[in-house]
Amino acid sequence: MPPPTSRSADWLAQAAAVFAKEWRCELRTRYALNTLALFAVTTLVVVSAGLGPLGTSAAEGTPVLPVLLWLILLFAAAAGLPRGFVQEEETHTATALRLAATPSALFCGKLLYGASLMLALEALVAPLFLALVQLEVAAPGLFAATLLAGGYGLAAASTLIAAMIAQARGRSALFAVLAFPITLPLLLLVVELTRNAVAGEPAGGALTQLLLYDATVTVASMMLFPVVWNP
Amino acid sequence: MKSRFAPAFKLLLWAWMCLVLAGAFFYAPLAAGFLGESSRILFFHVPMAWTAFVAFLAAAVWSGLYLARREPRHDRAAAAAVELGFVFCLLATVTGAMWARTMWGAFWNWDPRQVSIVLVLIFYGAYLALRGAVEDREKRARLGAVYALLGLVVAPFFFWVVPRITFSLHPDSIVNTRGTIDMESRMLQVLLASWVGFNALFFWLHGLRCRLGALADRRLEA
Amino acid sequence: MASGGIGWVVAVNLVIWTGLFLMVLRLDRKLRDLEKDR
Repeated sequence: MPPPTSRSADWLAQAAAVFAKEWRCELRTRYALNTLALFAVTTLVVVSAGLGPLGTSAAEGTPVLPVLLWLILLFAAAAGLPRGFVQEEETHTATALRLAATPSALFCGKLLYGASLMLALEALVAPLFLALVQLEVAAPGLFAATLLAGGYGLAAASTLIAAMIAQARGRSALFAVLAFPITLPLLLLVVELTRNAVAGEPAGGALTQLLLYDATVTVASMMLFPVVWNP
Repeated sequence: MKSRFAPAFKLLLWAWMCLVLAGAFFYAPLAAGFLGESSRILFFHVPMAWTAFVAFLAAAVWSGLYLARREPRHDRAAAAAVELGFVFCLLATVTGAMWARTMWGAFWNWDPRQVSIVLVLIFYGAYLALRGAVEDREKRARLGAVYALLGLVVAPFFFWVVPRITFSLHPDSIVNTRGTIDMESRMLQVLLASWVGFNALFFWLHGLRCRLGALADRRLEA
Repeated sequence: MASGGIGWVVAVNLVIWTGLFLMVLRLDRKLRDLEKDR
């Protein structure tokens, strides 16, 4: 039996390989990046056009604008993330993946890919959003932390659900339906945190709860993924 | 699977609920602070809501059992719990909204318990949508079980988050913050009696649904 | 609400409940018959 260290090194290598493969495929076609970016930017423009050239007053804006930002991110995620697994089924590379990597390493690779996609998306969308709706953030540190933790959490929940719907019919609609109840606590938390960041108020318990949510969903998804992946 | 309820029990259940009905309107006093007779709805709305939450837990437990042992009857039990839970949840939401309309003039009030019951309802709907979208029986059972467990894992966060973003109009005369039961004893009696009755009803209906599912599965195999 | 009004509410509820109960009972019996056939 191989010594434990080489087994965990193996696992890490597999996860890294999956991650690298996802990005290599993605950069070849740039499909997800384009979809995400286009979707997000279009929605952004619609939102800011809808709010009017003068923007909204600070009093009106503070409660509503964080919600809009996260709605944009949520729908962009729903548009771009499920492809990770659906494509595998469609191009029949799923079987090869089952042979090449252990489920947990595979899941980790996909999860990190999804998370990095979300972070890239946020890096694009958040500054644009702030500029377009003329929103000033009093606590940029909290804002950045929220984007990080929230983006990761969305990716974590989405990866497992994407794996599930890849094996069902009615893919994209079903994804949104399944993802909404699961990601709702995250959404409530990030909206609250974003509002606090804009207003300059402290995070309170919400940031801890968000991190706890991220950890819980990661662990639960890792444990449940093999059930979904293996027949 | 034979029915576990002897005919006598079923008759008893019928009589019990008749008693609960009579008790709710004639025996129990009106609750303070409620408009007219509207507090009567309490005896039906609350047990249904509790049953909906219990069904959620039961579905998760059966889902876990299914994943551990892969016996079809556990999957049938989980699915039946969700289906029934959905109905109870819908009824609880509607009765709650009706009560809210009477009391506070609006069907929806951003009250934490109102929000929570709707969230459970949405989750049930998503679960049923998932099951409807998978044709293969084994896959359907497996994916359904995963989703039920995922829901269970995420549910505690709602307990923390929802109260913060809502404010409570919900009458807290039932259990106050000290944890003692603060209700008038006759109201409590009827409420608990109603809860027992609704649980028994759920149990019976659930058994029927499982038997129906077993028959349908056997017919599909044959 | 007059107590006569309450009486009506209870009566209607009893009728509805009994009707539902009988429907479920019928379902129970039908299931038992189907199970015996197998």
